Amino acid sequence: MATAMAATAAERAVLEEEFRWLLHDEVHAVLRQLQDILKEASLRFTLSCSGTGTEAPAKQENFILGSCSTDQVKGVLTLQGDALSQADVNLKMPRNNQLLHFAFREDKQWKLQQIQDARNHVSQAIYLLANRDESYQFRTGAEVLKLMDAVMLQLTRARNRLTTPATLTLPEIAASGLTRMFAPALPSDLLVNVYINLNKLCLTVYQLHALQPNSTKNFRPAGGAVLHSPGAMFEWGSQRLEVSHVHKVECVIPWLNDALVFFTVSLQLCQQLKDKISVFSSYWSYRPF
Amino acid sequence: MRSSLQAVALWGKKAPSHSITAIMITDDQQTIVTGSQEGQLCLWNLSPELKISAKELLFGHSASVTCLARARDFSKQPYVVSAAENGEMCVWNVTNGQCVEMATLPYRHTAICYYHCSFRMTGEGWLLCCGEYQDVLIIDAKSLDVIHTFISSQSPDWINCMCIVHSMRIQEDSLLVVSVAGELKVWDLSSSINSIQEKQDVYEKESKFLDSLNCRTIRFCTYTERLLLVVFSKCWKVYDYCDFSLLWTEVSGSGQCFAGGEVLAAHRIIIWTEDGHSYIYQLLNSGLSKSIYPADGRVLKETIYPHLLCSTSVQENKNQSLSFVMGYMNERKEPFYKVLFSGEVSGRITLWHIPDVPVSKFDGSPREIPITATWTLQDNFDKHHTMSQSIIDHVSGTGTVGVTSSEHVPSLDKLICGCEDGTIFITQALNAAKAGLLEGGSLLKDSLPYKVLKGHHQGVTSLLYPHGLSSKLDQSWLVSGDQDSCVILWNIFTEEILHKFFLEAGPVTSLLMSPENFRLRSDQVICCVCSDHSVALLHLEGKRYLLHARKHLFPVRMIKWHPVENFLIVGCADDSAYIWEIETGTLERHETGERARIILNCCDDSQLLKPESVLVVASETHKHKSVEQRSSSAYSFGPIPCPGLQVESSCKVADAKSFSGPFKVLPVKTKWSNIGFHILLFDLENLVELLLPTPICDVDPSNSFYGSEILRRAKSTVEKKTLTLKRNKTACGSLSAEAQAKPIGENPAQGDNTVKFLEESDGIKRQKKTKNSKKMHPKPSRKVDANITVDAAKLFLSCFLPWGVDKELDNLCIKHLNILKLQGSVSLGLASNEDRFSLMLPGWDVCNDEMKTDYSKVNLFSKKVLDLSNKYTSTLPNQVGLPRGLENNCDSLQESNTLVYLLSRLFVVNKLVNMPLELACGTDRSFKMESVHNKAKSPGNEILTFSSFYGYLRNGKNESHIPEADISLLKLISCWRDQSVQVTEAIQAVLLAEVQQHMKTLSKTPVNSQPVPMTEDVHCEMRQILQNTEWTCGEEVELQCTTDTGPLQTPVSPVKHDSNSNSANFQDTEDMPDRCVLEESESPGISYFQICKWGVCYSLWSYILAVLLRKDSRKNGSLSTKPSLPFVR
Repeated sequence: MATAMAATAAERAVLEEEFRWLLHDEVHAVLRQLQDILKEASLRFTLSCSGTGTEAPAKQENFILGSCSTDQVKGVLTLQGDALSQADVNLKMPRNNQLLHFAFREDKQWKLQQIQDARNHVSQAIYLLANRDESYQFRTGAEVLKLMDAVMLQLTRARNRLTTPATLTLPEIAASGLTRMFAPALPSDLLVNVYINLNKLCLTVYQLHALQPNSTKNFRPAGGAVLHSPGAMFEWGSQRLEVSHVHKVECVIPWLNDALVFFTVSLQLCQQLKDKISVFSSYWSYRPF
Repeated sequence: MRSSLQAVALWGKKAPSHSITAIMITDDQQTIVTGSQEGQLCLWNLSPELKISAKELLFGHSASVTCLARARDFSKQPYVVSAAENGEMCVWNVTNGQCVEMATLPYRHTAICYYHCSFRMTGEGWLLCCGEYQDVLIIDAKSLDVIHTFISSQSPDWINCMCIVHSMRIQEDSLLVVSVAGELKVWDLSSSINSIQEKQDVYEKESKFLDSLNCRTIRFCTYTERLLLVVFSKCWKVYDYCDFSLLWTEVSGSGQCFAGGEVLAAHRIIIWTEDGHSYIYQLLNSGLSKSIYPADGRVLKETIYPHLLCSTSVQENKNQSLSFVMGYMNERKEPFYKVLFSGEVSGRITLWHIPDVPVSKFDGSPREIPITATWTLQDNFDKHHTMSQSIIDHVSGTGTVGVTSSEHVPSLDKLICGCEDGTIFITQALNAAKAGLLEGGSLLKDSLPYKVLKGHHQGVTSLLYPHGLSSKLDQSWLVSGDQDSCVILWNIFTEEILHKFFLEAGPVTSLLMSPENFRLRSDQVICCVCSDHSVALLHLEGKRYLLHARKHLFPVRMIKWHPVENFLIVGCADDSAYIWEIETGTLERHETGERARIILNCCDDSQLLKPESVLVVASETHKHKSVEQRSSSAYSFGPIPCPGLQVESSCKVADAKSFSGPFKVLPVKTKWSNIGFHILLFDLENLVELLLPTPICDVDPSNSFYGSEILRRAKSTVEKKTLTLKRNKTACGSLSAEAQAKPIGENPAQGDNTVKFLEESDGIKRQKKTKNSKKMHPKPSRKVDANITVDAAKLFLSCFLPWGVDKELDNLCIKHLNILKLQGSVSLGLASNEDRFSLMLPGWDVCNDEMKTDYSKVNLFSKKVLDLSNKYTSTLPNQVGLPRGLENNCDSLQESNTLVYLLSRLFVVNKLVNMPLELACGTDRSFKMESVHNKAKSPGNEILTFSSFYGYLRNGKNESHIPEADISLLKLISCWRDQSVQVTEAIQAVLLAEVQQHMKTLSKTPVNSQPVPMTEDVHCEMRQILQNTEWTCGEEVELQCTTDTGPLQTPVSPVKHDSNSNSANFQDTEDMPDRCVLEESESPGISYFQICKWGVCYSLWSYILAVLLRKDSRKNGSLSTKPSLPFVR
C-alpha cells in the first residue's frame, strides 16, 4: 500500500490482480460466510428464512424468572417465537406476606417487539446478502462498501434492539396492552413490564400507592426509564401515584445469547471486508463509479 | 442556513455522486424527484418531449433516503415528502426546492402513501407510513406529527408494502398492506377517519396469509375493480379482490428478483425486476376450470394466465447488474404519457414511453420497447461545463486533478486545496472564485498567484489550519495528511516542510485539534484519525508522537477529551468506547453497550468530533447550540473549520460556527466520494456591516482585519449575552463600534419604549458620527482586507445580478460598479427556513421552459423576477436613491457608496422576505421575547416600526420629508413574502430594479450637466404634471422623476419637498434640479455639502439596518433559548 504510488508497473499489475481477486472471490466467500452465520442466527429466532409461516407453530420454551437477592416475585414465562404465550407471576406482598398470583389470558399472546424487530432486521440483512450471490459480479469496491454498510446497519439495529430496551414512562407502562393481558385483571396498584435486555428476559413489577391530593410531597412526574426506582411518581387518570416497591426478575435466554454473538461476529466480518476493500481505495477511487 | 447567507456553488467538472434509492414523477409530469444513498434529493426537469435535465440538488437528509411520496394534492401544492434511514422526514416544495416542513421521528419508513378525503377530513391529509415498525403509522401531512396507528389484532408485524384502494363500487377507501411475514391485511380508510381522529383503536377488517415472503408491491386494478396484483421478490400473484382467492402465480426466472409492478389497464399489467427489466403481460381469461389452486377446497370458476406482450430493458453496459428502483406513471389525461421510469445506483435515470396499447410482434413474440430518454447528473455537468467550474481548475493547470480536501482560511483569504496527486495548492480564495465565475476571468487566471506545496506522494486526504482553531498557534502552520498515512507540518509562508510524521496506519481520514481547554504541558495536540481505525496524537511544538491508539476494531466516530485526567475517549461505530491515558499511552478501559453510551455522553463540553453531524450549512440555531455547548471556552469565538464531520457523516458541510466573515469558501464532500465541491457563502449582514461607513470606520479608518475580528468577537459576546439573558450592560471591552455595542445594552426583555428611546439617542449620535466620518472617508487608506470585503461584495453582486436583461445596463454596471459579467449562470443556493437548503445544478437555467427561448439572458432566476422588478420600480420612491445623479469623476468613492447602498437594500429585502419563516420557527420555542413577538408577528406591525422611524425623523429633525413611498416599498416586499416569493427572486428583482434606476441616472448625468438643461427640466415638469393627474401611470414617468429629484430630497435640504402628493410644491421641484446641476457642474470633486447629504441619507437607511441587526440579535436570543433542536435526538 505504502509503495503503491511509487510501485513499478509490474507491481501495480499484481496489486490490481489482487484487487480483482478480492472482488470476485474473496468478497463472495465472506458473503457466504456471513449468510451462514446469519441464517444460524435467524434459526435461533425460530424463523427459518426460506420457509413460511405455514410450518408448525414455533416451539414453546418456559423460562423461570427470579432474582438472586429476593424471592418476592417469581415468574414463569412461556416464549413462543417472538411472543409470550403464557405467563404466571407470583408476588409475595412485602407487608402481609400475602401471595398474589396472576396469569395471562388463554386467548391472547403478547408480542415481544424487541425480538420481532431483531428477527426482522436479521432477515432483511439476509435478504440483502441473498441478492448478491455467486452469480453477481461486483465491479467496484464502492459497491461492496455500500452493501456492507446496508448489512451492517441492519445488524447494528438488530443488536441494538436487544441491547437497549425501550425507556418507557410509567403512564406508558400503565397504558400498554400488557396490563390488559392478565386474567383476572391486574390489581390497580400493580404495574408489569416485560422486556429484553441483552440476552435476558426481564420482568418488572411495580407496586404503587396513591399520593394524597393534599400531600406535602413535591409531585414531580418521572421521565422515561427502563427500570423505575421506588419513589417515582406519575399521574394516571385523575390519580397521582407513586412507586413504592420495584421487583425485577430475569432469566437468561440461551439462544438470544447465541444470536448476539452471531451479530457481533458478523459485524466484525463486515468491517473486516470493508477494511480489505479500503486498502485498495487509492485504486478504485480514481476510476469513475 | 442563516438567512443573510447567500450561497453560490462551484461544482467542478465531476458531478457529486447520487446513488438513486427512490424515484418518483410528480403528478404534473414536469419533475422527476430522486432520493439518494448520499442523502440528497435531486429534482430533474422533465420536458413535454420527455427530455430530462437535472435542476436542483436538495440537501436535507444526513442518511440514505428510503422513500418518496406525494405530500399534498399536487394540483394545489407541489409538495413531496422524503424519508431517510435515520427517521428524518422532510416535506419539499418541488417547484422551488424549499424545505417546507421537517421532523425526525424514531421510525424508519419504507413506504409512504398520501391519503386525503376532502369531505370527511380537515387539514392537509395523512401520510400513511410503514417500515421497520409494527403496523401502519398515520402522520399528519402538514405538521409531520404522528396522529395515530392502524393496529392489527392478529400477528402484528412490520409492513412491507401497501396501497390505497378507491373503489367506486363499494364507495369505500381501503388500505391494503402486506406484512413481512406475508400476511395481507385490509383496513377501512374512509369510514375510520372519525375514529382515528378520536384516537380510537382501528383494527384490520380482514387478513389473509399469502404464503410468500418479501412482498414488494401490492396493486389494485381500478379498471376491473376485481384483480389484485401482489409482487413478491421471487414470484408475482394475481388474486381476486372479492374473496382473495388466488388466480395465478408466476415464478421468477433464474436469479431474477421482482421489484414491483403496476396495473396498466384492465387485464394488463407491468412487472419490473431489480436488475432493470420490465415485462408487460396481458392477463387472459382461460374460462376453463383448471384446478391450479384447490387449496380452499372449491374449484375456481375461472382462472387467468399471463401472456407476455412487451418487455423493456436498460442499456447493456457495464453497470447493468446494479440494482434499480423503478416506477410507473399511468396518466390517462391527454398531454401526459404513460411512463415507466427507473433510477440506478450509478445515478442514471431511464424513461420508457409505454404505448397506450402495447402489442406483441406479429409472430406473437414479445416486442422490445425502446428507451425514450436517459440521463445522469454527469451529463448535465458535461453539457453545461461553463457552469460547472471548479474553484481550482485554472490553478492546477491541467484541470483534471481532483481536489480531495480543502480548507479556507478567511483571515488570510487563502484557499488551501489538497489534490489527488499529492500536491497542495494555496491560492487566494476570492480571486480563485472570481476567476472561476466571471467573464474576463481568464485575465485573473493568469495573474492569480498561487503556491504549490510538494511533499506528499499520494492524494491529500485531510488538511488542518491550526491557527484558525486557536489563535495562539503559529500562523504559518499547516498540517496535511495523505493516503499514505503521512502527516506533514508545513510552513505555508516559506513553503517548507517543518516535519513529516509517518503513521503507518492507512489513509489519514481526518485531522482534529484538541480543544483549548485541553492542554498537554500548555500545548494543544493534533489528533489524526486513520482509516485502520487508529488514532494518533501528535505534538506539533515538540514534533513528536504522543500516542498511537490502535486497538479499535471499528471506525472511529467520536473523539472526546477529558482535560482533568488527561484521557482520550474514543467512540467507535459499534457503540463501544475506548479510554486511553495520554501520558502513558495505555488503554485504560474498554466499554460497550450502555456503559459506553454513558461515558460518551458524559463530557459534552469537550466534544470535538460529532459523528452523525446533520447536514447543516450555517444554521442560526445550530450556531447557538454550539455556542451553548462550548460556552466554557473561548474556543467558540474564532472561526472553527469544523473538522470532524467526515467520519462517515453523509455530507460534510461545515456549519455556522466556521463562518464568521463576509465571504467564505465551504468545501463539501458527499459520502463515498473523495472529491467534493465548494460553496461560496456571502454573509450579507456582515458585508453590510463591514462596508457601512458608519462608526466602524470612524473608530478605525483602516478597518483592519483585526478590528473586524474584534467586532466579531464582540458580536458573539453579544449573542451569548442575549442568550443567557444576563442583563449586563457592561462588557464588550474597549470596543467603540456602536453598531456592535448597542445590542448589548438593549435587553430583549425591554419594552418598546425603551427600545425606541435607545434608537433615538442612537440615531442622533450616529448622525453626528456619520458626518464626521464622512469627512475623512475619501481617504483611500484601506488595507487589503477591506479590499477583500469590497471584492466580495462585488462578486456577490455579479453572481446575483440577472445579466443580459438589458445590454446597455450590463455595460453600465461593468463600467460604473466596476463589476465583471458572469461567464454563465451560476448555481445559486436557496436556504430553507432551517438547515435544509438546495443548490441549483449546472444547467438549471435551461430547465425553465420560459427561459429557453431567450439565450441572451444569463442567470435570471425566473421570469417572475422581471415582473417583481417592475413592480418594485413602480413603487420605488423618488427619495431614497442617495448617490444618484453624481458625476463620474469620483468613481471609486461613488462605486463603494453604491455598493453599500445596494447591499444594504438587499439585506433589508432579504430580512423582510425571510422574516416570517424565521419567526415561525422561533415562535413556539421562544417564550421570553414578547416584545419581539408583538412587533414582528405581523408585517403590518413591522411597517409600523419603520414608519415610527420616519415619524421620529420628522419630529426630531427639522421637518424632513417622510417618504410615503418607502413605506409602500416595504409593504410591497412584505407582500412578496406572503405570496411566497423566493428570497433569491426577491433579491434579484430588487437588485435589478435598483441597478436599473441607478444606472439610468448615471447615463443621464452627462445630459444634466450640459449647459442646456432646460429641456430636461421642462420635460420633467411636464412629466410631473402628468404624474399628478395620473398618479398610477407607469414606471417610466416615475423613473424620470426620480432621476431629477433624487439628489435633492435629502433631509438636509432646507426646502420642504413633497412632489408626489402636493402640486403646490411645483416651484420647489423646478428649482431644485437647477441647483443641483449648478452644484454638480461647479464642483470638480465632491463638495462637503454633498458628502453631508449622503451621510445623512446613509443614516436613514442605517436606521433600518440597525433595527434589523438589532432584531436579529434579539431573535438570536430567542432562538437560542429553545430547549433543543428538533433534528438532534
